[in-house]
Amino acid sequence: MIDNQKFTDWVDKWLRNELTETERLEFETLRRSDPVLAQRAREQQQLVKAMKTYGQRTDFRARLNRIQASLDMDAVREEVNQLSKVRKLHRNGGTVRQLWQTYRPILAVAATVALITTFGTLMLIRQYQSSHKQQEQYSMMRRDLQAIRRSQNAILQDLNARERALQINPGQVAGSGFLLSPDGYLVTNTHIIQDADSVYIQSTRGDIYKAKVVYADRKYDLAILQVHEDSAFRVKTVLPYGFEAAPSDLGERVFTLGFPREEIVYGEGYLSSQTGYRGDSTAYQVAISVNPGNSGGPLLDEKGNVIGIISGKQTSSEGATFAIKTDYLFRAISAIPTDSLKNNSIRMSRKNGLAKLARKDQIKKIQESVYMVKVFKHEK
Amino acid sequence: MTESNRSHLSDDQLLAGLANGSDTVLEELYKRYFPMVMHLILNNSGTEDDAKDIYQETLIVLYEKVTTDSLELHCQLKTYLYSVSRRLWLKQLSMRNRNGNSLLDTEGVAEVDDDLTDHEARDRQFDLMADSLDRLGEPCRTLLEDFYIHHLSMQDITEKFGYTNADNAKTQKYKCLMRLKRLFFSVFKEE
Repeated sequence: MIDNQKFTDWVDKWLRNELTETERLEFETLRRSDPVLAQRAREQQQLVKAMKTYGQRTDFRARLNRIQASLDMDAVREEVNQLSKVRKLHRNGGTVRQLWQTYRPILAVAATVALITTFGTLMLIRQYQSSHKQQEQYSMMRRDLQAIRRSQNAILQDLNARERALQINPGQVAGSGFLLSPDGYLVTNTHIIQDADSVYIQSTRGDIYKAKVVYADRKYDLAILQVHEDSAFRVKTVLPYGFEAAPSDLGERVFTLGFPREEIVYGEGYLSSQTGYRGDSTAYQVAISVNPGNSGGPLLDEKGNVIGIISGKQTSSEGATFAIKTDYLFRAISAIPTDSLKNNSIRMSRKNGLAKLARKDQIKKIQESVYMVKVFKHEK
Repeated sequence: MTESNRSHLSDDQLLAGLANGSDTVLEELYKRYFPMVMHLILNNSGTEDDAKDIYQETLIVLYEKVTTDSLELHCQLKTYLYSVSRRLWLKQLSMRNRNGNSLLDTEGVAEVDDDLTDHEARDRQFDLMADSLDRLGEPCRTLLEDFYIHHLSMQDITEKFGYTNADNAKTQKYKCLMRLKRLFFSVFKEE
């Protein structure tokens, strides 16, 4: 075990590079083998280094002070003044640059804020504009939708769109209707003729007859019209189609004739449900494409029996048309006060002369009994 | 530039001379940039004395950086000295509770944060050593300074302090060093 003083001595010599070769080897082995001694050597090294730094700095300070003492302060002051003057000259009446130098950081911040604000605002405006535009597009779409919905609602219920159109322009509401009996009774939808001032029917040939509303049933949306004492109306002997009150089967091929425009339009489809809109048991659901104006048209099966009256369609889904069952037509007719009929009961026939005909021949015959119903109203 | 008219020494030559401990180079350097620093301090509510202190400390920063590390200046020596002085003066001003946030700058400023952090560490060590040596008292202080700082041999010290032989001197030096070690590391380790 080496004594502390001797080790300290060795460290001193080691730091001054004064160890002999043998001493150095021994010292290195000691340091490597004994961590405590190694630590002491490190500490001493650190201490000596700190002392040296201390000495160096004190020495340097002394040198600086000597220079300072020997300095011609007047010359230095002169130079400082010169410097100020040069700077001022250099700066060209330099307050601007002085201010620039002083407030540069603040200016930088201000400029940054201004930039961010400007571009932020621009971006926000753009964003707002674009989102606004989208909204506009969206609302336009919706308006379109609403317009469609309105026109679709029209055949579903109240012909709202047409009513609305009438509010702007007192004109006509048009729907379809067809003969119940050869002597001039017709059926159509209540929503077509309601609030009517006058009702006219127009045949496929273009003959127009005045009609009056005999009965209007809001519950079933059925209205009975009668050709109004018009001698020109040619009373038929028999209707080509019969009325079938018994419920029809799902999948039954059906067709309709109506007046979605000035010409009669044929449409065909199949019976898709025994109940109507929202489970309405008074109606069938039919997969057939109809348009506003088809309301009041007959729904016929393959054989040419009237099984319903087209009344409306669901706006939210395609191909869901509703037709009031013939059964309820009978009920409505039987509910008509006899006064209204002037004791002329409606002679409806179950007889059907179409069963064996081809569809186009059926249509030829049926279309003579289908009329466009034109309604004139006053502006509300 | 006015400075270069008076001197032919480049930055590198100045730094090399500084590292070598050349008095002429140090004097040259001292004179060259003192007016600049003084101008800065005087323009920013300082006195000539402040200017001297700040400038000398700045030179110490430079000197110790030159002697300990290999100094790599990323800017002109002038800019470096100005930046260091400026930072030291800002620190001084904030210690005096003055608004030192915006100096009237006359020169470009370089990034000297790392150098100043190093400098602060050295400062602490220097103060600690000065304090330890003060508390050590005589003759230990002079003995250790002679041996470790001025690199006198044990023989010289034996004669200077009038010890009977070199072994006595060695024992004395050992005891002094152990005391200094205790004083120094009692604080130094805590940091």
